[in-house]
Amino acid sequence: MKRKLVLLLLLFAVFSVNAQEKESLNLFTDRDLYVSGETLLLKVFAAASEQSGIVNVDLINRKGTKITGAILEISNHQADGFVYLPDSLSSGFYLLRTSTRTDNALTSKELYIANRFTGLPASNSDMQSAGVIPLKETFAQNLEITGVEKQYKLRENGHALLQLTNELIYQVDGDVSVSIAGTTQDFTTTQFLQKSEPGAAQSNVREGINIEGIVTDLKTGKPFKNAIVYLSIPDSIPGFQYFITPEDGLFNFQIGKYFGKIPVVIQCFAKDKSSSLKITLSDHNNFKNEMPDFERRIFTPEFVKYIEKATSAITFRKIFNQQEITIQPAPVVKRDAYPYYGIPTKTIDPQLFIDLPNFNEISKELLPGVKFRNYNRNPTLQVLNTAQQFYFNEQPLLLLDGIPIRDLNVIKDMGTKDIDKIEICQNERFYGDLIFPGVVAIYTSKADYTRVPESNDLIKLNLEVIQPRATLNTPSEQKLSDPDLRQVLLWKPSLKPAPKMELDFRTSDIKGRFKLIVHGKTRDGSTFYKEQIFEVN
Amino acid sequence: MINRTFSIITLFVLFAATSLTAQEESPKDMNAQIIKGKGFISYPSYSGSPFLNTKFLKGEIEFLDGTKVKNIGLRYSSYRDEIIYFNDYLSAQIVVDKISLKAFSLNDINGTKRIFRRQNYDGFLTGERYFEVLSDGRISLLAYRKVDLETCDPSYSKLGLAYKQSYSYYIFAPDKGYAILKLNRNSLLSKFDKPNQKLVRKVLRKNGVMITDEASFVLAWNLIKENEIPVNF
Repeated sequence: MKRKLVLLLLLFAVFSVNAQEKESLNLFTDRDLYVSGETLLLKVFAAASEQSGIVNVDLINRKGTKITGAILEISNHQADGFVYLPDSLSSGFYLLRTSTRTDNALTSKELYIANRFTGLPASNSDMQSAGVIPLKETFAQNLEITGVEKQYKLRENGHALLQLTNELIYQVDGDVSVSIAGTTQDFTTTQFLQKSEPGAAQSNVREGINIEGIVTDLKTGKPFKNAIVYLSIPDSIPGFQYFITPEDGLFNFQIGKYFGKIPVVIQCFAKDKSSSLKITLSDHNNFKNEMPDFERRIFTPEFVKYIEKATSAITFRKIFNQQEITIQPAPVVKRDAYPYYGIPTKTIDPQLFIDLPNFNEISKELLPGVKFRNYNRNPTLQVLNTAQQFYFNEQPLLLLDGIPIRDLNVIKDMGTKDIDKIEICQNERFYGDLIFPGVVAIYTSKADYTRVPESNDLIKLNLEVIQPRATLNTPSEQKLSDPDLRQVLLWKPSLKPAPKMELDFRTSDIKGRFKLIVHGKTRDGSTFYKEQIFEVN
Repeated sequence: MINRTFSIITLFVLFAATSLTAQEESPKDMNAQIIKGKGFISYPSYSGSPFLNTKFLKGEIEFLDGTKVKNIGLRYSSYRDEIIYFNDYLSAQIVVDKISLKAFSLNDINGTKRIFRRQNYDGFLTGERYFEVLSDGRISLLAYRKVDLETCDPSYSKLGLAYKQSYSYYIFAPDKGYAILKLNRNSLLSKFDKPNQKLVRKVLRKNGVMITDEASFVLAWNLIKENEIPVNF
């Protein structure tokens, strides 16, 4: 009996380990060699069990410092996106690292990026990672690539046919990705796994994009309990969340489905107004993972030649203002039909009335039921509770472009020219466990949030959220007279597998070796590929 | 050996029991943090009750985006057609913003789950209403649990006003709208073609259903639905 139990436990452990190995992310890029100023295109295959719905892609240098990155939405167990490679990058090997909140294994891929202004190092060599164990990828036997010539001329139309067996189609999880891009014979990099531990304290929230941090007492530096943390997303219908800190002072917010970059304001208040607080945000990318070892690699003549060609190509593309990709419009996400502070009792447009110099005058002349007084430089604000016909004793929720503010001095000098709209709620409003004794929401003409000053307890962020989808640009018929300096001839990151898949491409003005490569993931978690090389002369 | 197996099973049972207890004592539903509403102001006290359930019952609300908040104290005001939520933390009664909700449900004292759905009513006194779903399907049987404030005999209420039930019943299909019903056999039969009326009578007779009240009406409706008799609507 004991033996059986031990055997069972062992079997369970073996299966768990196997399962873990198969659960990693897989990362593929359009190329392995880049020049600063170019756009890196990438495809990620996620495990079917991945729950976060979001994958972080970070470009990190040899020291492990994040340089740039993207946040991609996982859909149908896969994601694709792009990373602009800044011109400020110095030449060298970099790691492109993918991570999710649910997986402690980071999948990284090594890339070489040459600075287009400084070129390759004078030593003609650089430090490349060594000793990493590449993630296995199976050569797909039941996938055929036909129709691709061995040689093409410049600006020649090409055609490829991918033939997948029914067995493979059944096995494929999600879509397959296909790319045709410039390559070199002697330089390829692989993806590999790195184990990690979260660097900062992380909440149990596993889905979406999260903002986490800690509220501390400014005087003692100790975590502050029962601080109310607000997260506001200024907009015509502002977004809002709150968090009441527990003993450890930690807070976290989950950002919904927003695309691109959004302004976010995070602020905290103590119930006791005398306490001074400080917010510190956690760095999500601060993984405690060890960087691989590095060893010196001497560049081959072909490598050097490729970089030289790629450098002049991207320089010309910049001169001719040729964009590599087109960013698609972000999908429309259905949000609240009304502001979180409720449907306003009254909405006033002060610009329809006579010019009034300050908020005191505006409240007296235009805002019945709103009492703003500024006696002895100590402004007060009260709202009438219309249902019970008395003024609330407490200060109402005062919002400036959707951002809650407590300091009335911020609005006291605002005249009609500064204000686009004022919304008032003349009743007791509730949002979760928060009570607002009336609401006064001011929307400014400039809507630039500059009146809300940053401080220890208020942080303004321009937060990068889910990256919108992008498509590869191909030269249009009208612009055939312009030089065509594309390194990537085809990028189809999400093609639905079918028995026959037709692909058309057109070679550019770049000569050299090109590679058509197909990547996919099967239901058992393993990845496969098939490639075909051709020359353009 | 048997003892060992027994102790392993006992351990498992204990573990399962502990997990269950842990689930029962789960912390407050975090989605409650997004409930929006305004403070409840007491109604004037006349005879009768303005509420469907005077005491707060455990229930669930569902927002428009599908987010649910479970296990919260709710009571439905039939008088104002509002759902009132009791916030334990604030000890406050909050009228949940109707515009934010898709549906809510209450578990009545018998343990029956009563589901209410917010729908736009396009008939007389058009607007958003909470309808109780008595029977769901392609054609739903709905009840609008309205209570009106009416004048009454001073012997019944000193103030001469009383909250009186004025429930209405409808059949509803998204593509056809609403058709009002009364809780009697004739009203039910009127929603069927002549040949099908015979079938309806037969089904009711076979199952011994006499339509006398709401419960028997719902029972009759469900039998008709089971027998797939087409409604003329």
